[in-house]
Amino acid sequence: MAESSFKISVPDAKIDELRQKLRLTRLPDELEDAGWDYGAPLADIRRLVDKWQNGYDWRVHEAQINSELPQFTRDIDVTGHGTLNIHYVHQKSAVPDAIPLLFVHGWPGNFLEVRKILPLLVESSPDHPSFHVVALGLPGYGFSEAPKTKGFKLDQYAEVGQKLMLALGYNEYVTQGGDLGFQINRRIARNYGGKHNKAWHTNFPIAQHPSLLSSPLAYLRALLTPYTAFEKAGLERTNWFETTGRGYYAEHSTKPQTLGYSLADSPVGLLAWIYEKLVAWTDAYAWDDDEVLTWISSYYFSRAGPAASLRIYYEVAKGDKRFPPPSEAPTIPAGFSYFPKEVIVAPRTWKKLLANVVIESEHERGGHFAAHEVPELLVGDVRKMFGKGGPAFGVVPGRTGYA
Amino acid sequence: MSTENAFQISVPDDSLSLLRQKLALVSLPDELEDAGWEYGVPLADIRRLVDRWANGYDWRHHEALLNAELPQFTRDIPVDGHGTLNIHYIHKKSDTKTAIPLLFVHGWPGSFFEARKLVPLLTQNSEHHPSFHVVAISLPGYGFSKAPSKKRFDMDQYAEVCNKLMLALGYDEYVTQGGDWGFLITRKIAHLYGPRHSKAWHTNFPGGQPPSLFTQPLDFLSMLINGLTAKEKEGLQRVQHFIATGCGYSAEQGTKPQTLGYSLADSPVGLLAWIYEKLVAWTDQYPWKDDEVLTWVSIYWFSRAGPAAAGRIYFEVGEGEPAKQMARFSAHESTSIPLGISRFPGEIVCFPKSWSKNLGKIVFDREHDGGGHFAAYEKPEALSGDLRDMFGQGGPAFGVVKGRNGYD
Repeated sequence: MAESSFKISVPDAKIDELRQKLRLTRLPDELEDAGWDYGAPLADIRRLVDKWQNGYDWRVHEAQINSELPQFTRDIDVTGHGTLNIHYVHQKSAVPDAIPLLFVHGWPGNFLEVRKILPLLVESSPDHPSFHVVALGLPGYGFSEAPKTKGFKLDQYAEVGQKLMLALGYNEYVTQGGDLGFQINRRIARNYGGKHNKAWHTNFPIAQHPSLLSSPLAYLRALLTPYTAFEKAGLERTNWFETTGRGYYAEHSTKPQTLGYSLADSPVGLLAWIYEKLVAWTDAYAWDDDEVLTWISSYYFSRAGPAASLRIYYEVAKGDKRFPPPSEAPTIPAGFSYFPKEVIVAPRTWKKLLANVVIESEHERGGHFAAHEVPELLVGDVRKMFGKGGPAFGVVPGRTGYA
Repeated sequence: MSTENAFQISVPDDSLSLLRQKLALVSLPDELEDAGWEYGVPLADIRRLVDRWANGYDWRHHEALLNAELPQFTRDIPVDGHGTLNIHYIHKKSDTKTAIPLLFVHGWPGSFFEARKLVPLLTQNSEHHPSFHVVAISLPGYGFSKAPSKKRFDMDQYAEVCNKLMLALGYDEYVTQGGDWGFLITRKIAHLYGPRHSKAWHTNFPGGQPPSLFTQPLDFLSMLINGLTAKEKEGLQRVQHFIATGCGYSAEQGTKPQTLGYSLADSPVGLLAWIYEKLVAWTDQYPWKDDEVLTWVSIYWFSRAGPAAAGRIYFEVGEGEPAKQMARFSAHESTSIPLGISRFPGEIVCFPKSWSKNLGKIVFDREHDGGGHFAAYEKPEALSGDLRDMFGQGGPAFGVVKGRNGYD
């Protein structure tokens, strides 16, 4: 299972095809004063399509990504699903005993989400721990192969993460993730926790109200503890998301192939589908057009194509629980970060049963894509968790993160 | 009211050329092994249809057939608070002068095209059955009707357009037939304009609610004591299956129709898959021919307002919340005019008969052995047979329209 170093190099033909398709773009109309109510506004999409056609230079951004992110591919066997060629970022810290950390993205993210946190995590300092960082490209995303067989669920994604870390010589490691990365890392913690996975950190700890029947004390505590202002706002945001923002989820989790024809064939369709979330799920993040177009292009030029990235929703909805019972909670130390514009923000009393929570941090800004929006805040939380005096200091024996 | 203009579908050459260019550049995704229909439309179907659309399918031929078969018109209809919309419709009169004026209202992903087979049957003269003057409207945002340009064009507005169209055509009294959105729209027509103008309504997509102790105590108790029949259970399992696995389209259209609209407006294969999935899933083993599917989808591709407009009805009805769509479908709306129901086993929402009791003044209720959601298209003889029986001599709605009982 040898590793190959990897540089993104999209074939010219693919870039030409994109250009040709963009030239033929047919845009819809829009209702008067629609704003964002009905979806991504026409003015935004028109501007982005124009830029994508005239002025945006993928090669420039491709070169930047390649120079910033040391990338590799290697074959990983997945039980029952054959061998998949997996793409990942791997950067070691100068500190030999840095803590091995696996970063797992979700949708509509990918390996690029590690870009801003990578230098912060590997940085050496006497004042904070440093990490050897592995950013996994989930199967079906970025430049990883996609599964060819049905039933590739959380256990399988977890298996890929675990096997990758072991293959890199990281027998013991910690994880960080949000969105689907939260669910995958929770599964890693459950399946490999203790022996291999020593602790996990997430910025997307989604939870339900504790059930009276299974957790009566937690239920009472949740019922009787008044909500803080942060939690009240969080519940409103959650309600907004659950009632008006899960159309994508309904289609992804039931008919990903049907939707996939659109996203594979239409650059503007793909752009709108993802851009709507890049704006709705962030905290007034000042997206640069080129930044958006690079993000979308990484989906358009992905190895498996954009349709493959949706299938995880179908498999997980069918085969995994969205809110597993407390009896299935992992026992290894967990750290939770709460960002106000995350799409699901549960009150703290609901989250206690999710894991063995050793540290929680609440922030005043930031949203769903924390690693991209507020990298210093997210890394700050991870450093606090694993650093000297932190609740998970030394959790990986022999690798404290300090020189 | 503005005057009527005769209309022939005549898609500009530029539009045909753009479609051709896009099809030549089509990018297809891969597919999981043995996916079947589980994840959505199978790749083999789409590949075959796209190849045909690009090579061999002749839109001009089908356009000419439609123009020859279906007399079409457009006229301006003012809608309170929404300005004037130019509305496209089929209007075919029977030779029987006193035929019954009937408005056919389609839904999504339907169009005026759904009435194609029904029109000749309903307008046919005979001493053995009534005949109808048929008006098949293209709802605003569909077919060759303009779309609303303002927000909140809801059931009241669709009903207003329909009623005004019938009045403009000189049909002061009329009856309606509708399924899918056509059920909700014709119910609203019955509610707002019945019995003054709308005299009776017929649907193949009856909504309804489970009986409650207060509304239907005997049915409620019977349901608890005797349970459901095997057939009723099967029907509810179909509903369950639909809600659990087949409602992604309505969740997205009901929350972000604009976002989805960019894909449907830009990608012929995307639009094809989005609609074809329902043409197969919602019909009862209907043997679709490729050209038939492509004509159906081409009407959406070449529609006056573009394919993105059609989905907005889901948003408006649910006010941007999918849960409210179902509530509107099930909610009670009072009507006083006679109601006829035809039940087709392949329909996506098949409630037990007792659940429709409060829908209205049911005078006709017939179950069929075959057929699905697109009843007018799949089973035109059965549906027209039901309408003839409902409105014909000896039928429960005979003579509802003054002076127009459907016979010479």
